[in-house]
Amino acid sequence: MRADGVFGLVRRASSEAPGASWTPALLVLPALLVIAGLLVAPLVHLLGFSFHRAVPGRMALEPGLTLVNYARLVTDGYYLGIMGRTVALSLIATLVCLIMGFPLAYFLWRAPVRWKGVFTLLVVAPLLISIVVRSYGWMVILGDSGVFNGLLIWIGLIDEPVEIMFTTTAVLIGLVHVQFAFMVLSILAALERIDPSLIEAAATLGATRLRAALEIVAPLALPGIVAGTTLVFSLCMTAFVTPTLMGGSGTRVMTTLVYHQFVTVFNWPLGAAVAALLFVLCLGIVFAFMRTVGRSARRMEA
Amino acid sequence: MRRLFHLAVGGIFLFMLGPLLVVVAVSFNGGNVTVFPPRDVSMRWYASALANRAFVSAVINSVALGATAAMLATCVGVAAALAIDRWRFPGRDALQSILLSPLVVPGVVIGIALLVSLTSVGLRDSASRLVIAHLLICFPYSVRTVLASLARIEPSLAEAAVTLGAAPRQVFWNVTLPLIRPGIAAGAIFAFVISLDNVPISIFLIDAHTATLPIAIMSYLEYNFDPSVAALSSMLILAACLLALLLERVFGLRRVLGF
Repeated sequence: MRADGVFGLVRRASSEAPGASWTPALLVLPALLVIAGLLVAPLVHLLGFSFHRAVPGRMALEPGLTLVNYARLVTDGYYLGIMGRTVALSLIATLVCLIMGFPLAYFLWRAPVRWKGVFTLLVVAPLLISIVVRSYGWMVILGDSGVFNGLLIWIGLIDEPVEIMFTTTAVLIGLVHVQFAFMVLSILAALERIDPSLIEAAATLGATRLRAALEIVAPLALPGIVAGTTLVFSLCMTAFVTPTLMGGSGTRVMTTLVYHQFVTVFNWPLGAAVAALLFVLCLGIVFAFMRTVGRSARRMEA
Repeated sequence: MRRLFHLAVGGIFLFMLGPLLVVVAVSFNGGNVTVFPPRDVSMRWYASALANRAFVSAVINSVALGATAAMLATCVGVAAALAIDRWRFPGRDALQSILLSPLVVPGVVIGIALLVSLTSVGLRDSASRLVIAHLLICFPYSVRTVLASLARIEPSLAEAAVTLGAAPRQVFWNVTLPLIRPGIAAGAIFAFVISLDNVPISIFLIDAHTATLPIAIMSYLEYNFDPSVAALSSMLILAACLLALLLERVFGLRRVLGF
């Protein structure tokens, strides 16, 4: 354990100085105040908001607690549809990220040392580019007069441009593009803990590369796969820019519904209820997923 | 089989980098509409982007906000990381999770929670609201990079300093601080990037004068689709690449991201 760092030594060296033990508390205090005042209190306040009824036409709340907002969300087909779409889109995007992410992580892991840094940087660096810019790139590619349609028409495959922008497919492509690197990095981190000579051993014993990758490496990389899957799933559930820019009013998801309720319709309590459900749904699914996968992983080890 | 694998990897790289390359190509377009490949080459859309008052004021807003938030976040984050590093009782791991918790709450949820709360306490100044919100989402990155730096310090270094008669204060200023400086710098740079890119929180807290750059681009795209956005985006891509190289040199980009 590394608890005895520099400060441990310093503390021991200056143990006669009274009151020294208060220093860490004072140092961490500003951060804790930020969390308490700017995160916990506002979240509690927001949750309270969701249990009130909005006064129609005015930005005010009716007194008295009510479950009417939540009741509306879980009974009205419109809202249920949005929640279903959000979860379905996130699941599919995560699956696509996994299918594309594992081979790429494997490639980076096996790449010659000289090239590994460059290739990894090519995967990671786009994370620093604004999501708005990356979504704009897809708008240029997928638009009616975009690269993709232009190419298909030029080949002669189609006569009229295919409508992709502002559909669920566009949102899906955008989500995969934005979150993909997180999947690769999670799996790569797990792969780097595996001894590469295992693959050589498998080859010596007559396994093909594909078989070694799927039957030996993939199970050992499971912790990274689980971490990447949960991370990407929750990032997709809470993505805002991609569905706003690449989707339309027919592809509304929970985050854009919150925005719509707060900024366009001014029904703050309903928006707060959607936000609370989003947060709970996200945490709940992630928690359930980790439990199931954790259990099956333990069964595999046994 | 092997060739197939490399083909797939090439395809994935094309998928990742294609949209960015297309943006850069389109930005040199000479015509009036966004087409790829560009018909004739010109820098006119760069001039047009730089002459757009909404874009210019958004850049100024974003840089000012990012710098302020990164500076405050670094102060708060470094102090907290130092405290965690010397913490002795069992709550240490819990404390660390609490300090990183702003990273797991959805941005939209933080945005409206702050909108509702700051409105109810009467804080209406949009610039202050933005600084407060960005401090909250930026400081965990500083905590993370500084903790990573502290964990790599060889304990024998401080030991040697103490043996040589250094006071705790001297050990901190002359040994510990210089060693964690790359972590502090990386945390500050990354905090700036996070602030610059944020949309889901800022969008609830801006007013007509405080729109940040990504939000200005989004609202421009709502009614326009000319290549001036491509020109502006290309400049942002260039800036992001430079920042990525800087972070890679100073600290390692993967470590900054926590992988």
